[in-house]
Amino acid sequence: MSKARDYLNGIKVALPVILGYLPVAIAFAVMASDAGFTRLEIILMSTLVFAGASQIMAIGMIVTGASMLSVVVGTFVLNLRHFIMGSYIMKKLGKTSALEKITTAHGITDEAFAIVSATPEQKCTVPYLFGIITVTYGSWVLGTTIGAFVSLLIPPVVSDALGIALYALFISLLVPGVKKSWRLIALVAFTALLNTALTLLLPDNASSWAIIISCLVGAIVGVFFIKDEEVAAE
Amino acid sequence: MNYALLSVFMMLVTIVPRILPGFLLDKIKLGPKAIKFLNLIPFTAMSALIFPGILFINERWWIGALGALIAILLSLIKKIPTAVVVVASVLALMGIYAVV
Repeated sequence: MSKARDYLNGIKVALPVILGYLPVAIAFAVMASDAGFTRLEIILMSTLVFAGASQIMAIGMIVTGASMLSVVVGTFVLNLRHFIMGSYIMKKLGKTSALEKITTAHGITDEAFAIVSATPEQKCTVPYLFGIITVTYGSWVLGTTIGAFVSLLIPPVVSDALGIALYALFISLLVPGVKKSWRLIALVAFTALLNTALTLLLPDNASSWAIIISCLVGAIVGVFFIKDEEVAAE
Repeated sequence: MNYALLSVFMMLVTIVPRILPGFLLDKIKLGPKAIKFLNLIPFTAMSALIFPGILFINERWWIGALGALIAILLSLIKKIPTAVVVVASVLALMGIYAVV
């Protein structure tokens, strides 16, 4: 398959993400604007950081008077999960050059990971990943820019409903992969329950640890609980 | 607080876990158990990203639960593409918000 076609495939498969990203990006821009960020500072943060959850967390912390150090440490912990996702994506891509590793790193997000994990291995190439990143990064920065300029024009019923978009995307990528194996369904349910319990039990600022812990514990349990042939199936 | 400087620091601590895996994986040879573990990460990570977060999209948790149910049912139908699941779920939620 040609590089150009792989790139276009990556763009195509990532298009639904736009729907999920725009409302979150706009929400972030509105929060940051209320917290005293200038338009340029809002767009700068989205361009440099490109990690929605941590950006929204940062604004929340700044509003309550947190220090820069605590915001940076919180961001580090929250984004540690990208290490696991990056490992998976890089393993699936196979051999890559140092330049490819560095240029794709900024685009390792929950959404890129979700799409790659639902893609058969032979289709996963560097241009394909670049296609995904073009759409995800583009819509994140564009959405933030739109939000920085026109924050109050979207009716609440629309922005409220759009809150489901990213979750619906994750569900639609997860379900086809697990539905054929009751063991995988059980493992996914176990992880969901574990994460729910941890999120409710741990203090608010530790919920990012909950995701990391449940994801790792779930996979460790799965190594023994899931049969080898059930994971290999694409 | 200097917000531009904050953004630079946030970028630095975010890019480290994003960039390391590619270089580390070249250095170590993974055994079958480790590969199986990595292959299971998509399922457990996605599950943890969805739950319980989806229940917090509104103060009333059952709205998120209903949205999850709709998205799961739509995803079970083989012929429906991802984009349609997303759009249909959003429209369903708009309907729910219009009623309640």
